[in-house]
Amino acid sequence: MRRDGRLPNIWKIILIVLPFAAALIALGIGRMQISPGEVFDVLRTRLSGGHWADQPVEKTIMQLRLPRIVLAALVGAGLSVSGCAFQSLFANPLATPDTLGVASGASFGAALGILMGFGLIGVQIIALAMGGAAVLLTWLAGSGKDRGGLSYIVLSGIMIGSLFSALVSLIKYVADEESQLPAITYWLMGGLDKASFRTLALGAPVIIAGIAVFCLIRWRMNLLPLSDDEARASGVNVRTLRTVTVISATAITASCVSMCGQVGWVGLLIPHMCRMKFGSNHLSLIPASISLGAVFMIIVDTMARSISAAEIPVSILTAIIGAPFFIMLMRRSGGWRI
Amino acid sequence: MILRVENGSFAYRGGPKILDGISFEVGPGEILAILGPNGAGKTTLLRCMMDMLRWNEGRSTLDGEDIHTMPARKLWRRMAYVPQAKSAASSYTAFQTVLLGRSSRIGAFSSPSSEDMKVTEQVMDRLGILGLADKHCHEISGGELQMVLIARAMAAEPEILVLDEPESNLDFRNQLIVLDTMSALASQGMACVFNTHYPAHALQRADKSLILSKGGSCTWGSTPSVVTEENIRRAFGVNAVIGEIETPENIMMNVIPLSVAGSGEKTDSIGDPEGNIIASVTIIMNNNENADRINQILHEYNHLLIGRMGLPHRRSGLYIINTTVEGKRSEVEALAHRLGIVPGISVKTTYARI
Repeated sequence: MRRDGRLPNIWKIILIVLPFAAALIALGIGRMQISPGEVFDVLRTRLSGGHWADQPVEKTIMQLRLPRIVLAALVGAGLSVSGCAFQSLFANPLATPDTLGVASGASFGAALGILMGFGLIGVQIIALAMGGAAVLLTWLAGSGKDRGGLSYIVLSGIMIGSLFSALVSLIKYVADEESQLPAITYWLMGGLDKASFRTLALGAPVIIAGIAVFCLIRWRMNLLPLSDDEARASGVNVRTLRTVTVISATAITASCVSMCGQVGWVGLLIPHMCRMKFGSNHLSLIPASISLGAVFMIIVDTMARSISAAEIPVSILTAIIGAPFFIMLMRRSGGWRI
Repeated sequence: MILRVENGSFAYRGGPKILDGISFEVGPGEILAILGPNGAGKTTLLRCMMDMLRWNEGRSTLDGEDIHTMPARKLWRRMAYVPQAKSAASSYTAFQTVLLGRSSRIGAFSSPSSEDMKVTEQVMDRLGILGLADKHCHEISGGELQMVLIARAMAAEPEILVLDEPESNLDFRNQLIVLDTMSALASQGMACVFNTHYPAHALQRADKSLILSKGGSCTWGSTPSVVTEENIRRAFGVNAVIGEIETPENIMMNVIPLSVAGSGEKTDSIGDPEGNIIASVTIIMNNNENADRINQILHEYNHLLIGRMGLPHRRSGLYIINTTVEGKRSEVEALAHRLGIVPGISVKTTYARI
């Protein structure tokens, strides 16, 4: 690792190329197998304004797989980077959108939105509001004088999370059994199969904006894990820094949740993998989390839609991969520090 | 640069006054030690002084400007804070940690420049911890971590350094390293304010001392006038003797606690601080580094000097100053103390029997 915390050039290249390579390969995988070369040709033809001769191939790639893979990449990058931000913000290796109750809050918001028959924008706004409310409640409940206590934040996150889960159950209880309940239940399991360029156009800008904010302030994010006094003594306006971090991370999470339900584990696994490999300096940690989060999600989603004839909800897969990995991580002391 | 606290009082909401009518000041090259029993509010005093807590009454000023209304970025380029080492565990490398000290000079959307890197390296080199640069902060010892935190504060290129119990939890060697570092920085013009549990460290290092008592009042002044057996008994509830320990080079002051004091006891005070006394002060410097500092101190006490002789010993590179002083005991002791805490020189004061 370089002393100034920047990524070595070779890793810069790898981290940029890897998501595109994964996407290119994933575009060819599915019920209809298409070779990466052909995928590349189709994309090139479309980019230069033409049409590919083989209509079904073009349609599969452009209208079915491409938006879904773009969504997977964005959701993976977004959840991973916001998990990373939450961990640093609370100086707690267990802080993620899931453990802080943000995801549950956003789920409740989104379920409420579906119940009230809102469109995607309405669902997103209310998911964002509820996600924000959840993280605020967690923060208020869990950050006392003793900010060093690792368990406080996570415990209060679990409380707030279960509160919002109960509210989600309430919504399911009152939802119309014929139309709304299946929609809510299916959506809660998490999946990217509803992806289209139309949903992307609504959700992607929020995620991209949040990621861009983190990229811009990534060196300054190194101040986040410091104690209050140390952070203040840096001369930087820490309150603003924390507020920007919470808003960006919550907005990303809520936007992801409203587009594809609650996808767990990404925000925990990827940042910790990156911390093990690249250290805790956000100058390299943030780009690495973004890139590898995207790659992870592309791979998992490709597995979810191609491993069996029927599609597996992606959150089931992330949990199956995540839980053993998490236990492994837990047993290796090196992976714990922020 | 003068940091001044004017009549500061503080109480946590709904609680009793912790600090009451605190006033003191510290200038360039001076070390101020803040002493007090556990729970007297030493750390609270530092936090109020730095505007991390708001004074209920009174204020802190830097060159006359109220710290509370100063922009944070401006304040923290001039003042730097060294927290207790135990509070700072992170998986950053030592270099990254020190580099964070540059934060107030790095824009929100930028990363450190080569200038920032250079300053960081220089500071670490100066404190002798460049070898730790690539180690993680959780891998190094408590003493090393304290030095890293001092380096982080220094990286901001401040004029005043505030240290919260920098030598607590450290072994003898590391205590010395930390205290020597502080003395060296002060002799180069840095103002230092530090909290300590050890009256002896105040006696050996600090120009000025402040003793906090439970109930919030304080005694402030030059170290020999503040760190006295009487004040230690009053503030700590401990009968102690302050004695001199003679080393080949210096006479060091030390405090030895004897017994827990009962309520009504009173110790005898030795010597009348107002009485006149004659003494000879001998200073031996082995390089010119601190010559300016010595001359400056002697100049300040010019009114006491009745004789002065400088004697360069070229062959050995030593410079010997013999002075004879006459004046109030308290002033002569203050002069001897000020000279005694300059690092890298030998000083002895011999009092005449009159």
